Amino acid sequence: MAIAQENPLLEGLQIRRAPDDCILVIFGASGDLTKRKLFPALYSLAYRRLLPEHFAVVGISRTEETDDEFRDRMKEAVQAHSRVWELLASGMRYVAMDFADDEREDRLTETLTELDEERGTGGNRVYYLATPPGAFETVVRAVGKRRSAQGWARLIIEKPFGRDLASARQLQKTIEEFFEEREVFRIDHYLGKETVQNMLALRFANGIFEPIWNRQFVDHIQITVAETLGIEGRAGYYEQAGAVRDIFQNHMLQLVAITAMEPPIDFTADSVRNEKVKVLRAMHTPGPKSVVRGQYGRGYVEGEEVPGYREEQDVDPNSMTETYVAAKLYVDNWRWADTPFYLRTGKRLARRETTIAIQFKRAPHPPFEELSAERLKPNVLIVHVQPDEGVSLAIGVKVPGQGMTIRTVHMDFLYGGAFRTGLPEAYERLILDAMLGDATLFTRIDEVEEQWSLVDAIVAAWARDRPAFPNYSAGTWGPTAADELMERDGRAWRQR
Amino acid sequence: MATALTSVREIEREVATLRIAPGSDVPYLRTSVMTHTAWVPPEWVEAAEDVLTGLAERHPSRTIVLVPEPEQEDGLEAQVDVSVFPTGEGRQIWAETIRIHLKGRRASAPASVVQPLFLPDLPVFLRWRGVPSFGSDEFESLVDVVDRLIVDSTEWADLPGSYARLAEVFDRVAVSDIAWARTSRWRKELASLWPGIANVERIKVKGTAAQAQLLAGWLRSRLGRDVALEHEPADRLEGVEIDGEPAPFPPGDPPLPSDLLSEELDRFERDRIYEEAVRSAAR
Repeated sequence: MAIAQENPLLEGLQIRRAPDDCILVIFGASGDLTKRKLFPALYSLAYRRLLPEHFAVVGISRTEETDDEFRDRMKEAVQAHSRVWELLASGMRYVAMDFADDEREDRLTETLTELDEERGTGGNRVYYLATPPGAFETVVRAVGKRRSAQGWARLIIEKPFGRDLASARQLQKTIEEFFEEREVFRIDHYLGKETVQNMLALRFANGIFEPIWNRQFVDHIQITVAETLGIEGRAGYYEQAGAVRDIFQNHMLQLVAITAMEPPIDFTADSVRNEKVKVLRAMHTPGPKSVVRGQYGRGYVEGEEVPGYREEQDVDPNSMTETYVAAKLYVDNWRWADTPFYLRTGKRLARRETTIAIQFKRAPHPPFEELSAERLKPNVLIVHVQPDEGVSLAIGVKVPGQGMTIRTVHMDFLYGGAFRTGLPEAYERLILDAMLGDATLFTRIDEVEEQWSLVDAIVAAWARDRPAFPNYSAGTWGPTAADELMERDGRAWRQR
Repeated sequence: MATALTSVREIEREVATLRIAPGSDVPYLRTSVMTHTAWVPPEWVEAAEDVLTGLAERHPSRTIVLVPEPEQEDGLEAQVDVSVFPTGEGRQIWAETIRIHLKGRRASAPASVVQPLFLPDLPVFLRWRGVPSFGSDEFESLVDVVDRLIVDSTEWADLPGSYARLAEVFDRVAVSDIAWARTSRWRKELASLWPGIANVERIKVKGTAAQAQLLAGWLRSRLGRDVALEHEPADRLEGVEIDGEPAPFPPGDPPLPSDLLSEELDRFERDRIYEEAVRSAAR
């Protein structure tokens, strides 16, 4: 009897898993995200030959536009190399439609069927929802009703997934009518960043960190997501979201989860997400004194005078939307009990920076006459998510000369210094992973629900008071109440 | 022109001096990932410099270029060049190239010159230009102190004879062959012909002798059967026929020499498939 033999010629060959042939359908194709992030990412994937052999992109938006106009507009977004662009552009189509228009939806279905025949994409679809969040349910219903019986379907949903727990559950309920959880890819683009994934490498590929990655050795953890930009004309969205929904609910809580999670048994989607969700469940709701909100007033950024938030175009002059949030959180589990996680995020802050700083406990007793334990600076391991992507470790060293003067220096690992290949954009990784059906770097619905539970509790407490906004000047590090939050614990924010 | 350095201590001092930016007391940032040593006989210097251009930027490292000049009077002459590359947020990173001419008897004891200059605890790669002088003092001493030997058997005239000598060092040092890397695209195409290719009897390769020998050796070793080779010389791999049928042409352009070397510098383990292909080619 003949026995099927494995191909011995494949051994040792580095063959990347290629995505199945498919059509990427982008809802919200006239939006900023499509031009600024999605198309540069798609072009880069095409350039690196990582897209499927048979591939097409259909852009959908209300704006009337022809296929060629769509191609021209997207070409402006990339530094196009002619051969690569021509290949990508040959599979690009545009459909102008209102998402709740049956006639236009039929036209979309016709376009997709035509493309299947023309490009050999086999009925496989990746639906990318890059629309304003208010349109998510309508679009999900529209594509869900017309799901092709042939091929697979995947749904990529931009943040925010709901604006609170109830609306997130409502959106999820609609999705569940048409899609299974394994077909849903909720984007938190921070998870696509190399430096965020490097946190997993740092923790679980090095023997020296994990034994001290706990309450016995760590004094506290500071996570900073600071922007110097204002709202950049997005008043409509930001007035509804504020810093707590825009950044805190998703990016910051995901950074906490990755920093605090237990080692997963492997790097599959469910193993990683099972560990993250345990952290999110173990976070207890901070009391009102452990949360600070702020809103920027007029100030200076990079030497230029900038308006306050309430003076921004289309913002309510009496707006109570927060542009800054700081919070002290605890993860109530064996590893982290009583170890505070200090989080801060804001717009128009002094510097653009996203960092995770693990501050270790001080050396208990320095045997040097000239130095008391209090004057010894603690060791800090800083993961620089952006800019200056890399890792640095602050250590005390002896200053050359007589005596024993200790000074803190940084041992730096800089991604750009060690690997000059350029870090791929987060969206490249995430779009490719979704095409491959790998959900490891996407958030699962139970994570989203835990994140909203925490944020809902914070927002509910805010309803009981009305702070005097603005309470920090643009170009500074936020309201003084945030400093007081740290000072009460005998600590300070890093690098003021 | 800078005075030539004549001892390892002088080289170390020069490297330390150059690391401080002019007008500053702050050293350039160095995130080294390896020491890259290259054995470059004088006739290979020009070709080696071409490949090194751009490599330092991709693999920030200490590069030590050894130029043997055994006919000269005993001595050592070295220069240190630094390259500073801008990176984000106004920071700069550093890579250094040390070129050492090993004159007279110094050419036969290169390990004693380079070992003090290796960056501690980081892998050491040795790129040997031309046919290695298997069994010579210089080859034997260097192979024993490096982690990976990188050759390009396209540069060898006596194939497949030299493959037998190369196979003798497999248990002492991991080996990469750029000629093998050049066949990678074609091997993927040939693998896609499975299972039809399982009973192949004859392969015809239009390319360099190294590519032809390695592809035939690979098929023999992987399939466990004899495969006859017909070689049509060409400067690059232009086509492969399996029992008279042309194999599909790999998509895209062939990679550049500096890209191939760059990829080999990312490898750390032994390549057992290559080793078996070399042994089969040598039989």
